[in-house]
Amino acid sequence: MTSTGAEQKVFVIGIDGLPCTLMKEYVGRGLLPNISSIIESGFTLNQMDASIPDVSSTSWTSFMTGVNPGEHGIYGFMELREGSYKLSFPTFDDVKAPTVWEMLGNTVGAKTSSLYERRRGGINRAVRSIVLNIPQTFPARPLNGVLTAGFVCPDFKKGTYPDSAYSYLNSIGYLPDIDATKAVDKPEEFFNDAFFALEKRAQAFEHYLEDEEWGLFIGVITETDRIHHFFFDAATNPSHRYHDRFVSFYRKMDEAIGRLFERFMSITNGKGFFMTMSDHGFTPIRKEVYVNTWLRESGFLSLNARNEYYEQVERGSMAFAMDPARIYINIEGRYPSGSVKEIDRAKTAQEIKSRLESMTDVDGSPIIKKVYENGELYSGPAKGKGPDLVCVANDGYDLKGNLKKNEVFGVSLFRGMHTRHDAHCILPSNVKTPQRVHIEHLADLILDNFSGL
Amino acid sequence: MDHLTILENKSIFIIREAYSRFRNIALLWSVGKDSTTLLWLCRKAFFGHIPFPVIHIDTTYKFPEMYRFRDEYAKKWGLDLIIGRNEAQVATGMGPTEGSKLDCCNELKTNALKETIARHGFKALLLGIRRDEHGIRAKERVFSPRDENFKWNYEDQPAELWDQFKSTTEEDNHFRIHPILHMTELDIWNYIKRENIPVTDLYFSKEGRRYRSIGCVPCCSPVESKASSLDEIIEELRTTNTSERAGRAQDKEDAYTMQKLRSLGYM
Repeated sequence: MTSTGAEQKVFVIGIDGLPCTLMKEYVGRGLLPNISSIIESGFTLNQMDASIPDVSSTSWTSFMTGVNPGEHGIYGFMELREGSYKLSFPTFDDVKAPTVWEMLGNTVGAKTSSLYERRRGGINRAVRSIVLNIPQTFPARPLNGVLTAGFVCPDFKKGTYPDSAYSYLNSIGYLPDIDATKAVDKPEEFFNDAFFALEKRAQAFEHYLEDEEWGLFIGVITETDRIHHFFFDAATNPSHRYHDRFVSFYRKMDEAIGRLFERFMSITNGKGFFMTMSDHGFTPIRKEVYVNTWLRESGFLSLNARNEYYEQVERGSMAFAMDPARIYINIEGRYPSGSVKEIDRAKTAQEIKSRLESMTDVDGSPIIKKVYENGELYSGPAKGKGPDLVCVANDGYDLKGNLKKNEVFGVSLFRGMHTRHDAHCILPSNVKTPQRVHIEHLADLILDNFSGL
Repeated sequence: MDHLTILENKSIFIIREAYSRFRNIALLWSVGKDSTTLLWLCRKAFFGHIPFPVIHIDTTYKFPEMYRFRDEYAKKWGLDLIIGRNEAQVATGMGPTEGSKLDCCNELKTNALKETIARHGFKALLLGIRRDEHGIRAKERVFSPRDENFKWNYEDQPAELWDQFKSTTEEDNHFRIHPILHMTELDIWNYIKRENIPVTDLYFSKEGRRYRSIGCVPCCSPVESKASSLDEIIEELRTTNTSERAGRAQDKEDAYTMQKLRSLGYM
């Protein structure tokens, strides 16, 4: 088998933050005719679990490596530098497990993972990949193929490999990201930018689909997530001022997906493996919940407002939270003002956990669906880097790690929040999946298509 | 001729060439090692006295050592020193924690320089950038035009074969001239040693750390290093494989990331 066998191809369209329930509703209402006809031609729309925490950086890394954060090491967009309270921003260089395209392109290097150990002997290692716009892939590393990084991409050139891909993408006006701040004061412009970015992504996808050699193609659309953050309340409310814009974005995306699907199927004589998937779902926000303020009010945290960010954590603090709701026990020896002895760590975590679980809104509604302990979620060499506790909230309560809020509850400009349980994937109906699909399963399904040496 | 003399001759040729084509020219001096080397070369090119102004863009966030160094040598070398400061923004308290680091750089550095150029009507600036500093600088020309918005169109530049430099441009534009573009970080240190050029102490290791590149206090991080003398720095650079501006580039990327995350409600 060669890497470029016409039929041995996998095409994945990632749609950031697209909830299964919304997809189902829009399909039911006939708003997405192309996706409907894809499903009718032998595909199934599945509700899927995202990673915990359900942020893009973590969830996309789980998708591309097929392993849990305890192995890949990405727990969020922010971390603290070892032995300090200083913020750092994990990049692709901090992803400890190999991605599917690295496994297939023989560019794994010194990395390994449970998935790789299990599959390495049985997969074709000469497959060329096109990887467009997956979050957490900056800076681009050389691969067998083409990659341009998704969110966050602070330097388009450094985020793209090889240079010729940068030149091409730049020449068509491709945008790594749009300016989300416009959503608030210039919503029309924001939508225009989102449409423009979508058009450019589709143009780039088509170009690489047709004009490059490849076996694995993953292309991600980010703008859904951006629109959802600011306008999710418009999704199913026809009287919302931006409902039509919201729906027309979906229609345009549906058209592009239909076109790409057709091209892909004609290249592969109808035998290629096609999937769409999202990294988490979305639901409307009732309230934002500031976990650090709650920790403060509950006596677990004290802050010195003269400092910045986590350098505010004062001696005597037992725990602090990082976005969205990762709780770290302030361990002695691990942090400069660490105040909990290792021996008391589990006890402190238990105490915080039980207090969190009984947290309610003013009307008595429970806020927290479940508080997970590190060991319930994570396993692998990067487990120790992970939070002690992670909360998953009930829909409507958006947990935040903000350090500057005086009240536990608040509202802001955001109208949509991520959900863990309502990501989606559309898979060929004949593919065997577990009862409940988890985002970590998808890499394995991709590799199944490239078995044999 | 030895290597350093060849480099020196080339730089002096460019400096004199620039001065003969643009009388309304100035030297941009950050007080760092590169622009101080360039300043030294300008003094040599004009036999000890620089016949044009020297601009220092003061963000008000520079290291105290840098201000002391600037004032001491401006006096000693008889420089016609212009200090450019975006007073309006300084007055509003602009800084890396107020607003973003990108805004801070833009207001206190870029806009301060724009104002200074406009006020004095400079047509060309001498800058101490080097080709090995950053990937994008590999595309730089010795005579590099900028438009009125300071934009550099690196896809539309004149060729510079056989040291023929193009020095005409549209109205409102100015030229950036790079006399030490061809030197590397190691060349600079070797030349500093040969010429005994003064540099601030920030470059030398104290408690296991030294600055490899200096600018504003909040945005510079020292690197781990034991090099506390010129010879030790030269030895260190011969064997290092981390980039000179690693501390600073990382900082800009982090600032961008922070801004992006904030716009989506994180942090």
